[in-house]
Amino acid sequence: MTPEEEAEEELLVEQVASAHRVPTPAFGDLAYHPAWHDLRPAARERAFERGLALRVAEAALDPDGLSTTARAVLARIRR
Amino acid sequence: MDTDTELPSIIAGDADAFGRWLASAERPVRESLRSFAVVVDAEAVLQEALLRVWQVAPRFQPDGRPNGLLRLAVRIARNLAVSEVRRRRVTPAEPAQLEAALAEAEQAPRPPDPMLRDALRECREQLPAKPRQALDARLAGAGGADDPDLAASLGMRLNTFLQNFTRARQMLAECLRRRGVLLDVELGA
Repeated sequence: MTPEEEAEEELLVEQVASAHRVPTPAFGDLAYHPAWHDLRPAARERAFERGLALRVAEAALDPDGLSTTARAVLARIRR
Repeated sequence: MDTDTELPSIIAGDADAFGRWLASAERPVRESLRSFAVVVDAEAVLQEALLRVWQVAPRFQPDGRPNGLLRLAVRIARNLAVSEVRRRRVTPAEPAQLEAALAEAEQAPRPPDPMLRDALRECREQLPAKPRQALDARLAGAGGADDPDLAASLGMRLNTFLQNFTRARQMLAECLRRRGVLLDVELGA
């Protein structure tokens, strides 16, 4: 990969590592982040590990100890 | 630490109690999906699995051992990931790795680290304005807003927002390292 392509992939990893997923209307359908499909295997592993580290940090900064994943799940439950 | 202390309230439909359970249970369930990370979007699997735990919780029968709902959550997440692997017809992870991940996740969750919490809050205060805005926008978005919308709300282009978020993440990791707190190598990568 060129340095430009690597930089572009890093921005995709940053997006995939977020907790935002578009809820699907059908029960059981998984809400993939669109950028996940564009990542190479090593980048998918990085996105997983980064997501894990970010969720721990988010929970530590949250008054209720909840990550953005937990907040997103609770929002769907309460909807 | 037994996460089942919230079980009676969860079974009764108390979403706040489910939130308190999530605060302890999310990490081990997420870690149980590590061996699937290359073949499925683990965040998507995790969120769907946690929703299903909430849906089946009223019918959950404790087996007398601690962390029963957590063990159920790990199994739901794993089964969902396996189904997704089959549906997508991709090469699954080694079964032995999956079993090891399941066994590890069934251990009692680690309690929150108060030292990490205090250090993170102090490090966050030291962030420059733009990276701090990007970090705070992600936190305030609570997983409900995508990055293009968060960027627009700050008057930034998407790439600028992501670069600021990356800077915030790396600066937090460096600040934590200086204080002797190691969160994870990926926070600073």
